Amino acid sequence: MFPKIDVMDEDGEADQVLLEAIADWCDRYTPLVALDGREGLLLDITGCVHLFGGEEALLRDILKRLFHMGFDVKGAISSSPGLSWAACRFGRGGVIDDETMKEVLAPLPVNALRIDDAMTVSLHKLGLKRVGDLFPMPRAPLARRFGTQLLLRLDQALGANEEAISPRRPIAALSAERRLAEPIQAEEHILQLTGQIATSLRPGLESRGIGGRVFELVLFRIDGRVFRIAAGASQPLRDPERISSLFSERLNAAHDDLDAGFGFELLRLNVLQHDTFGTAQGDFIGDGESEIALADFVDRVSARLGADCLQFAELRQSHMPERARVFVPAMTAGSAQKKGDEDLAFAPRSDRPLRLFHHPEPIDAFAATVPDGPPQRFRWRRIVHRVVRAEGPERISPEWWIDPKEAEERDYFRLESDAGRRFWIFREGHYDGKTAPSWRVHGIFA
Amino acid sequence: MAENATARETLFALREQIARMEGKPLPGLAAAKQADAAADPEAQKSRNNQPRLPFGIAPLDAALDGGLPFDGLTEIRSMLMLDAGAASGFVLALAAYLKAMETSEAPVLWVGDVVSRQEAGAPYAVGLRQFGLDPHEILYASPRRLDDALWLAETAVASGALSATILEIRGNPRHFGLTESRRLGLRAKAAGRPLFLLRHAGEEEASSAFFRFLVKPARASGRRLPDGSMLGGSIGHPVFQLTLEKSRNPAPLSFFLEWNPRGRQFSLDRETGETSSFRNPSTHPGAGLPASADRQDRSPVLGPVVANERAS
Repeated sequence: MFPKIDVMDEDGEADQVLLEAIADWCDRYTPLVALDGREGLLLDITGCVHLFGGEEALLRDILKRLFHMGFDVKGAISSSPGLSWAACRFGRGGVIDDETMKEVLAPLPVNALRIDDAMTVSLHKLGLKRVGDLFPMPRAPLARRFGTQLLLRLDQALGANEEAISPRRPIAALSAERRLAEPIQAEEHILQLTGQIATSLRPGLESRGIGGRVFELVLFRIDGRVFRIAAGASQPLRDPERISSLFSERLNAAHDDLDAGFGFELLRLNVLQHDTFGTAQGDFIGDGESEIALADFVDRVSARLGADCLQFAELRQSHMPERARVFVPAMTAGSAQKKGDEDLAFAPRSDRPLRLFHHPEPIDAFAATVPDGPPQRFRWRRIVHRVVRAEGPERISPEWWIDPKEAEERDYFRLESDAGRRFWIFREGHYDGKTAPSWRVHGIFA
Repeated sequence: MAENATARETLFALREQIARMEGKPLPGLAAAKQADAAADPEAQKSRNNQPRLPFGIAPLDAALDGGLPFDGLTEIRSMLMLDAGAASGFVLALAAYLKAMETSEAPVLWVGDVVSRQEAGAPYAVGLRQFGLDPHEILYASPRRLDDALWLAETAVASGALSATILEIRGNPRHFGLTESRRLGLRAKAAGRPLFLLRHAGEEEASSAFFRFLVKPARASGRRLPDGSMLGGSIGHPVFQLTLEKSRNPAPLSFFLEWNPRGRQFSLDRETGETSSFRNPSTHPGAGLPASADRQDRSPVLGPVVANERAS
C-alpha cells in the first residue's frame, strides 16, 4: 500500500540513548529534567521562565529548536505534571493557565489520567469515557469502586495533589552560565570564559561561606551534544583563577574526547560538592602560601592523571606487613592528615624493609638451619646469594579474623648477602617432616 | 694582529654566554672576585650564597663545591636492578636528610616507575618511618607512562610546593635524554627546589645533572652496643658504596657512606679513596649481570671521556 515506506526494527536502547541526549540538551532550560517513560521528558521550569521571556516564548523556543534538529515534538506547560502529560498526548498542548485547567482536562479521554488499561476498561463499561464525566461523581463511591489510584491521578492532574518529578542529575548547589552569540571552539577561549563564569559564582560561594570541592563544566555544543567535565579540588575553592586552572588540566587530558565541532554556544559551571571554606589562619607567621601551593599542585595532577595518581600512605594497626599501611589519595587525605594520628599506629620493634613486594616472591633456600634458622644460600630470580649475616627469626602469625584457616605463620629473617645486599625473607610453615616449608622474599632493605 | 684580537673578543663573548647559560661565574669576573675575596672573605661568602645541602663531611663537601645543589638535578644511578635497595636507600636518605635540615612542612614527592615497582617493590611506609621519613612527609605517584612521569616531575619542581622530588626511572629510556633532563634542570633552577633522578640499571649518559653518583651495595655496619662496641653478626645502619662519577673534579671519588636513620645523619664509614675503579669492572662479574635490553652492550670508550653519548 505504501511502497516507499521504510520498515525498521525497534531499537529500544538506541531510543533511550537518544532520549537521554535530548534530556541533556534540555539542561539548558532548567537543571530539573526528568525522563518520563520511554517517549517523554518532564522539565520543572519553576523560576526559570523569566530567563526566556515568559512561558509562551520558552515553549516556542524549545519546540522550534527541537524541530530544527529533526524531532516532531509536542509540548505543554501547566502547573501540574499530570496535566502537562495529558495535554501533550491527548490534547493540543500549549500553555495552560491555572483557571482553565478543568476545561482543558474535561474533554480528554479517561486514559489521559495515567491509569492502567483494566481501570480504563471498567470505567468505559460504566459509560465514563471522558475525564469531565468524573468531575460530578461523588468521590467516596469512586474510591470504593476503583481504589484510591484513580482519585490520586485526578487530583494530581488538577494540581490538588503535589507530585514531584525525580530529576536525572543531582542538583548543583550553585551554578552559573554564559550564553554566547558566537560559538567558541578554542581551548583558551573556553578556559577564559570558565574563569569569567567562576568570577560570577564567587559572591554566591562567599555569601554561603562555602567553597567548591567538585566542579562540573557543562559545554553545550551548537548541534545539541552536551559534554560534561568534572574536576575535583583537594581544598574548597573560590578563586576563579584556580578553578579555571583545574579545568585547564582536565581539558588537556580530555582533549581527544572533546570534539568542539562547530563550537559551543552555552557554558555552565556547576558546583556539585562544596565544603565550608576555612577562613581561619593556620599560624601567626605563615601566609599559608606553601599549603596553597601544595593543594594547587595536588589538584592539577589529580585533574590530569586522576585522583588515584598521587597518594599518601597511612599506617594501620596490623602485624601483617602488607596490611600495616594503606594508600589514600592525596585529594582526600590532604589536610586531614595529622602527625598525631601516626602515633596511634602500631610500630614494629624490629626493622622493616624500605621496599616491599606486592606479592612475596618464591625463592629456593639452601642449607637452612633446621628447625628455625636462616638459609646459608638462596636463589632468587636465578641468582644465588650467599648469606653472611642474618637476624631473626621474627614470627608473625596470621590474623585469624581475616586470613583463611590454612594460612601459616611466617618466620621473617633479615639477611645480608656477601655483596652487601639486604633482604627480608620469610619461611611459611615448619620443617615438620611432612611438607616442605616455602621460602619467599618479601622486601629489600637499603 | 687586529684580526687576532677580534677573534679573541668573539671567543670571550662566547665563553661568557656559555657561562651565563650554565649559571657559572663569568670567567672574566672570576679574577676580580678572587681579589675581592682576599680583601673581605665574609662579604664574599654571603654574596656567593648559592643554596647548597652540605653533608657535613669535609672531603665530600669539598668535592661537591659545598654540597648538593638545591636548584638543580642530581643523578643517582645503580648498575643493576638488584641494587635497587641501595640506590633507593641512598635517595631516600638524602630526602630524609634534607627534611631534617629544613623546617618546612612540604612533603617529598616520589615519582615511581611501574616496572621498578614490580621488580623491586614499592616504597614501604613502615620501613620508611624507621628510615627517617614519616608517612606524612612523602607523597607517592605512580604514573603509567614516562611522559606523564616527566610532566609530573616538571610540574612538581616548578610548583615549589615540595621539598624535593625524586624521579625514578629504569635504564636509559629513549624519551629521556639530554633535552628532557636540561628542561627539568632549568625548572629546578627557577624554583630552587632539588630534583633527584634515580636511575636503576642505567648507564652513564649525557645529562644536565650537576653531580652523578653511582651507588653500589655495601656491608652494613653492626649494631652499636651502649658501650660503643659492635654487636657481632648483627645488621645495623645501612652503608652505601658511592662513586662521584660526575662533578667539577676530574677524578672520580669513591667512598663508603653510612646513614644513621635515627639521627638523620650521614657519616663516612671506611677510608676514603678510590677503591675499585668503576671504569674497569672486574673480569668475572658473576651471575649478577642484567639481562640485555633492546640494545647491545656499548664498547668501552678509549682514552679520557670528554662527554658521554646518549645511551638510549
